[in-house]
Amino acid sequence: MGGSRAERTFGHAEVFALIALLSLAVARFVPVLSVPFTCPLRALAGIPCATCGMTRAFVWLAHGDPAAAWSASPLGALLAGGLWLLALADVVRIALGAPLPAVGARAARTGVAAGAVALLLNWAWLVAREVAS
Amino acid sequence: MLARCARCHATFTTDHFGVQKCPTCGAELLLADPNAPPPAPVEPGAPPPSAAPPFGPPSPTPPAAAQGGWGGELPPPPGAPPGGYGGPPPPTPPGGWGPPPPGAVPAGPELPAPFAERSRLGFLPAFFETWKLVATQPQQFFRRVAADRTWSAVLFGVLAYTVGSVISQLYDLLAGAQLLGMMQRGLETVPEEQRQAVTAFLQGMGGGFAVLHLVLAPVVGFVGIYVFAALFHAVLLVLSATPRRFDATLTTVGYATGLSLLLAVPLCGSLLWLVWTLVVLVVGLGEAQRCGPGKAAAAVFAPVLLLCLCVCAALAIGVGGLMNLGQGTPGGGVNL
Repeated sequence: MGGSRAERTFGHAEVFALIALLSLAVARFVPVLSVPFTCPLRALAGIPCATCGMTRAFVWLAHGDPAAAWSASPLGALLAGGLWLLALADVVRIALGAPLPAVGARAARTGVAAGAVALLLNWAWLVAREVAS
Repeated sequence: MLARCARCHATFTTDHFGVQKCPTCGAELLLADPNAPPPAPVEPGAPPPSAAPPFGPPSPTPPAAAQGGWGGELPPPPGAPPGGYGGPPPPTPPGGWGPPPPGAVPAGPELPAPFAERSRLGFLPAFFETWKLVATQPQQFFRRVAADRTWSAVLFGVLAYTVGSVISQLYDLLAGAQLLGMMQRGLETVPEEQRQAVTAFLQGMGGGFAVLHLVLAPVVGFVGIYVFAALFHAVLLVLSATPRRFDATLTTVGYATGLSLLLAVPLCGSLLWLVWTLVVLVVGLGEAQRCGPGKAAAAVFAPVLLLCLCVCAALAIGVGGLMNLGQGTPGGGVNL
């Protein structure tokens, strides 16, 4: 990103790393699971939505229980772990003064498409588990 | 000669060119001298000129009057046309945030948003001028806004979201107090212990959550702008519609979030905000990323469509389960 000096030293990558670290802090220290919330889709149709279990996955992974996180939502566990690792990598990159690695447009497109497929697969798995139980 | 202020559109008389103040609103104007030499061409990467084309009806003295963009600055004087002054007048270079004159070229040089120049224009005038442009001229604004000052766009969105949320939350608090009074009257027949528990819960929901919401509004706004920008940009990436990269998407989402001020409108504010923001997002992303409204609409609505598909599929499964339940199939019950 161009523009001011502040923007060059604290760019988008750093903002997303900060958001990832914020999600870790919230999942670790805020009792989000005690908030009385029911997924509307689950309440309506009795099956989970595509993102059901992600909050629990974040919370349990933040509390050091990867098995429970995986059980709640495989994609949620992978997303949480990936986000926090990326945030850590960005901190290390800044500390070392290394440049931000460039990602090509094709790789980015592939990544987004893979993410969408993963979301659908995760949802199918959640529904199948719910129906089977 | 006559001149027109770019900010308040008032016409006034002046006897000299150069910097002067509008007698009506006090805005600073630069009245270009038509006999001055043409400006040097702008180098690539240099900040775009804060110039503006003529707007509104033509005035009796075309080079000097009826000039100005949003900040009250005027464009550099046009140079002599190639064929000399005897030939037809050259096309007016596009610029400024005012409505383009009929027949004007739609595209032009990028301009910083008024809010990005708040130190020069003043905070509140810059904020409301930007808000007005986003809300009423999104196509022109996002077509021409420079995408290299994303912090200004994010700050604009965060501020508007915070103010809108705070006011909206105050309405909710007032409504919650009314609801609490109504429920307390209904709880008169309930045992004392349960009544106290329900009252404490309602008071906690109203006061505690409201204060939490107020405190967290800037954080929620900031994170929301980045997350939604990333979401929209991801879909645009798949559609190969990101010639101006993430900065343009973030700028669009940031300025579009400024419409959160509509949350301050009582009763229908949320609906107004939702519809208007979606429209501005579609128009803005299409213009900022030069991808047209179709791909922009796909980017904005793809998450909603995905959710709808999930809901439809879930309902289909749920209806199937209900039918099984009606036939007495063991294990066919669905928890509705």
